[in-house]
Amino acid sequence: MSRTSESPLARWLKHGYLWIMLALVFLPFYVMLVVSFKDNKQFSNHPWAPTWPLHWENWIVGWNTVGVCIANSIFIAVLTTVITLCVAVLAAYVFGRYKVPFADLLWAAILVLMLMPGVANLIPLFNLMRGLHLLNSLVGLCIVSAAGGQIVCLYILRNFIEDMPKEFFECARIDGASHLQQIIHVVIPQCGGIISTLAILNFVGAWNSFILPLIAIRDPEKLPLAVGLYQLQGAYVKQWGPLMAAYFISAVPLVVLFAFTMRFFIRGISEGAIKG
Amino acid sequence: MARQTVRLRQIKSHWPLYLLLLPALGLIATFMYLPAATGILHSFYRWDGDELATYIGADNFTKAFTDPTIRHAFAVVGILFVANLFKMIPSIITAVVIHRVISDKARYVYRLLFVVPMVIPGMVVLLIWKFFYNPVVGLLNSFLTATHLLDLFVKANAWLVNVHLADKAIFMADRSPAWLGDSSLVIPALIFWGFPWIGIIGVLIYLSGLEKIPKSVYECADLDGVGWFRKFVYIELPLIATQVRINLVLLIIGVLSDYGLMLVLLDSSGGPGGAAMVPGLYMYYNAFMKREAGYACAIGILLFFIILALTFINNKFVRVEK
Repeated sequence: MSRTSESPLARWLKHGYLWIMLALVFLPFYVMLVVSFKDNKQFSNHPWAPTWPLHWENWIVGWNTVGVCIANSIFIAVLTTVITLCVAVLAAYVFGRYKVPFADLLWAAILVLMLMPGVANLIPLFNLMRGLHLLNSLVGLCIVSAAGGQIVCLYILRNFIEDMPKEFFECARIDGASHLQQIIHVVIPQCGGIISTLAILNFVGAWNSFILPLIAIRDPEKLPLAVGLYQLQGAYVKQWGPLMAAYFISAVPLVVLFAFTMRFFIRGISEGAIKG
Repeated sequence: MARQTVRLRQIKSHWPLYLLLLPALGLIATFMYLPAATGILHSFYRWDGDELATYIGADNFTKAFTDPTIRHAFAVVGILFVANLFKMIPSIITAVVIHRVISDKARYVYRLLFVVPMVIPGMVVLLIWKFFYNPVVGLLNSFLTATHLLDLFVKANAWLVNVHLADKAIFMADRSPAWLGDSSLVIPALIFWGFPWIGIIGVLIYLSGLEKIPKSVYECADLDGVGWFRKFVYIELPLIATQVRINLVLLIIGVLSDYGLMLVLLDSSGGPGGAAMVPGLYMYYNAFMKREAGYACAIGILLFFIILALTFINNKFVRVEK
């Protein structure tokens, strides 16, 4: 929106408000960064201002403590996202293109799960995972997370596939494309924007997942980031510097992800909001 | 696009479609419906989460209806829900302010900047807040002391006790308040958590709604001399009403089912004296601490029906005119 007239006061108010909000939103970054270079003595003397000398070794300690967790979390997030989207695209293609017998019934059975709080079946799920020997297994964790995560993806993707022009699919079929080929050559390129947005959201979701890995993973060397950090804060109460360095390091993978996908992501959320 | 109808007798040539549905439906059946079914079954048992299970009929449910902790937990959720309604406001205001920034480029940059904090893992955000609330080294207490707001709190508290509006002194001079360690401060701490309460996904969704407003509407409003506040109420708010409603549904589900926040900031028993015990956490506590998994299942089922009912009410009565 652009309008012609605007008083200088209004202009300053708007920008001032946004900058204050940004400062508050970025405050955790500042705290993490500043504290991560201190030893405990510097921290108790000047907690919130930068102090010299900088203790770079905090970052090495931090990396040594969360490095494994980060690797685990990357594995979990990538695998969960891939499973979720593969499964959701296949099913969304069928629901969006065809009205097979029982489609409405199956769709209703899927949608009602959107209302089911994850907590309600946590304990039976835990038992089921134990029965299937999926406890303490990263792959098992990914499969279970994907089962829940696919529902929203399915819902959004179906809307997008339904809105695609019929001709695309008919042309492909005349050329002899199978269902799978139609998905790969028509659906995925046409819905690329929303699929990548969903991929980012799923990745971030898996990256942040906490309760399920907390109960499902036992071995310390298999812990994902959220659980690892949660257990770390109990053990390291006294050493704020390395702890903050570890926190900061754990944000880096997502920085890398967002650096490449930010534009996509912002546009995708807007598109998804209108259609979904 | 109209969907192609496949009739039952055409199924012979179209059966591969079910093959494509199979992974999705298989996962849902195994990891969502099966646990839900066994959960319902086990809610009628006294069960330790392992092998031992004795059928006790509806005892778990009658116990739940008379359990004072559950009543307290739903009261806490009610308070948090009302608080979270107000916590939606900053996102709406921020979206409207960004939308009203005139330069296209500045609007884009602001959006970008607000997305950046999403890179911090959720757990780190929680732990940083726990650090802020730390009574000795926390930022919040340093801030309150430095600005002498703490003295103000102490005086206000003393005055309230004097006029019998409060029954005890929470803030005392020369003592830094333990935000997460004092049963009367835990709920305020959980409400204040996340300040300034800007959820970037929400902001982006609102913005996409606002961008659909044609320029001419604003020009007309300018000609009629409509002020900024009335523009907000009559032009902008109706356009994001749908998104606000969607967020409301998500909020209901989120507040009722989330307990990671309490688990991280406090502990599995809901903080000092169980002051911040919420239904989800109580379920977790029963299942994994007290080993009363049958009772925990019953609480989970109760929660599910409450969420279902609230969503239904929301869809029925909170209508949005298009």
